[in-house]
Amino acid sequence: MPARILGLLITAAAMAAPLSGAISVAPASATLRVVATTTDLATLAAAVGGELVSVESIVPPATDPEAFEPRPGDTDKVRRAALLVRVGLGYDYWLDALTQNIGDKRLMRGGDAYLDASGGIPLLEIRGQSVTNEGGHSHGVANPHYWLDPENAVIVTAGIAEALVRLAPEQRERIVANRNRFLAELTMRRKRWSDRLAPFAGVKLIAYHNSWPYFARRFRLDVIDFVEPRPGVAPSPAHLARLISEGRRAQVRAILHEPYEPEDASRLVARKLEVPLVLLAVSVDSVPGTKDYFALIEYNVAALAGALSPPGRQVP
Amino acid sequence: MSDALSFLLLPFAASVAFVLVHAYLGVHVLRRKVVFADLALAQLSALGATVAFAVGHLPSSTAGFAYALLFTTIGAALLTLARHLARFVSQEAFVGILYVFATAATVLVVDRAPQGAEHVKKILMGSILTVTPRELASLAALYAIIALLHWLARRPLLAISSETAPAGRSVLAVSIWDFLFFLSFGVVVASSVSIAGVLLVFSFLIVPAVIGSIFSAEVRVVLPIAWGTGIVASAVGLVGAYMLDLPTGAAMVTAFTLLLVLAGIAKALVFAGVRERRANLRVAARALLAVALVLIFASAVWLLVKPTADQPLAALFEGATGMGPEHFLNAGDHDIYESATRDMTRFQGEVDQLNAREKAARFQSEPLSDEEIRRIASYQQSFNEMARGERFVQEVLRGKARARERWLVGLPAAIIALSGLGWLARRQRWRHSRRRSAETGASRNSIAA
Repeated sequence: MPARILGLLITAAAMAAPLSGAISVAPASATLRVVATTTDLATLAAAVGGELVSVESIVPPATDPEAFEPRPGDTDKVRRAALLVRVGLGYDYWLDALTQNIGDKRLMRGGDAYLDASGGIPLLEIRGQSVTNEGGHSHGVANPHYWLDPENAVIVTAGIAEALVRLAPEQRERIVANRNRFLAELTMRRKRWSDRLAPFAGVKLIAYHNSWPYFARRFRLDVIDFVEPRPGVAPSPAHLARLISEGRRAQVRAILHEPYEPEDASRLVARKLEVPLVLLAVSVDSVPGTKDYFALIEYNVAALAGALSPPGRQVP
Repeated sequence: MSDALSFLLLPFAASVAFVLVHAYLGVHVLRRKVVFADLALAQLSALGATVAFAVGHLPSSTAGFAYALLFTTIGAALLTLARHLARFVSQEAFVGILYVFATAATVLVVDRAPQGAEHVKKILMGSILTVTPRELASLAALYAIIALLHWLARRPLLAISSETAPAGRSVLAVSIWDFLFFLSFGVVVASSVSIAGVLLVFSFLIVPAVIGSIFSAEVRVVLPIAWGTGIVASAVGLVGAYMLDLPTGAAMVTAFTLLLVLAGIAKALVFAGVRERRANLRVAARALLAVALVLIFASAVWLLVKPTADQPLAALFEGATGMGPEHFLNAGDHDIYESATRDMTRFQGEVDQLNAREKAARFQSEPLSDEEIRRIASYQQSFNEMARGERFVQEVLRGKARARERWLVGLPAAIIALSGLGWLARRQRWRHSRRRSAETGASRNSIAA
């Protein structure tokens, strides 16, 4: 009897999952259950796995991923995963406690079902081991926002493809074909994105959080400072004053802002500098119109290019 | 400096408006003994705004405001009920439950509409620093209306706030006045919390009123004191945040609390009779000395028992006297300690320098290839490893130094602190017995007379 009740609960949780806004792609002939911590990795896994996998993500988009608290249903999601894909670098540190609780070696570092997507990524901003976090991140060894550089999607999908082939060797060809299709489209779009942002190479920006080093490296942008240098601690008046005078001197052209953060401070700086406030999406689905990985980068490139274009030719 | 002024002027003006209205309402709230009612009402209004958001209205829209007002009204009605339920449930418990429930419900609603998280975060932290002229103008208008209403109805409102069962008024009349009070209170708090955050609003409300009530029970005296200290505390907090590079809200709350402590000290040492003042001074000095001696004793014993553990007071002593752990090492160890400190800084500098180089290459000259980035990252990781090694060396040597320090510093400190405490206790007992013998002597004299 209790087993049946549990079964009912699980079904209910599975039915409720799409409501919570988490991405969930479940084709009829699903064989491998892939669970990713973020929507970004989930869409990349869906692109590689295609019809071979059903994909779920854990952290709802448009919430602060570094303040995420897993819920009981997530334990279940992770427990039943054939492949668990994480961002790593301390970004989804809560996952360790979760897999520890489950106690399944398969899901832990080194296990068959475990994939840390940061493997092989050229990491930026590796921090010195000082106690303070001037780098704008409260934990982790390097800046974790690597998926925002489209070139890194090549590496991440390679890791996912490898893991899937390991789990289902007989599907090797389909997986490789899926990934190649994804890469072909990526290459095509990559050129368009670079062309779109090429006129703004070297442009000075201020960001709310330090979420954009990989994006900035790829598109040759200069993020000179951050509105909230220590996550979760409101900026001091002195810091904002400094930011404004620094922004004036460096001729900052826009303020970048994440959708789930309070806007007041960013808006104040933007107003004083008389530059636009640009809402950029850190994750798939965190802003309307960012349904998958391509749409995410597309949205960010378009939003930034639109804000930086001279007023006469502004793209809506 | 002009930048700083332009920065702090608006928040200061907003603080003055907040203090004028909140300190007055605080006097009421203190008398009603429901200090957390503001949190409950503010959280209910936040719940309303969040529900509105989940249904699809922006928090700044009319519909968003209507939802917030509706929930605040429900909160006011529930708080009105609290007085009549006081026989069964204590009012504080009732208010607390209301607050906790409203907060939890907000979290649940936000979970279904994640974009609302920003709104909730803002209510918790607030950002008085970024208040806009338009917000300030609408605040001033709203507060003027509410102040006028309260001035017109000041007598019944104050009477009802001050008594648990007001004489000569029907239950219905009391309930209506209660409801009107809580409703106006809720509207004020809902508007201020969205700008200043719950912590700061609580300070605006309660701390100046408490300071005023330290000095008098008369509303006519309490209010000017509350207003004055509230405005001074706001100014100190804002300027402090600017000068010391601190988050504004937290700095202001701390300034309010500091002012309360100062007011308490002033009450005991300045606004007291000569004899009382001297007695208070003596008690304060003795208490301070006793606390310091207990701290020193505990810390010295801790150093004796476990020299390699964290030693906060010993570290403070080392920092203050410049007698770092290296002074307790022999020459060889001393050199190793120094070089470890030097190398650690150097390795960290290398990591930072590589970061700066990579950052500059993002937009200047030739971009670095992935291979070059990987090489930089692996250099940085090695430097980090080496720095960690040096830190380990430092920690081992510090432990060694502390083990020696415990006999040179810990033991004498423990003995001195203990004998100081013994002296204090003996003195206390002596004074006590002298007073008692004086009293018995006096009573004997009176009997003899």
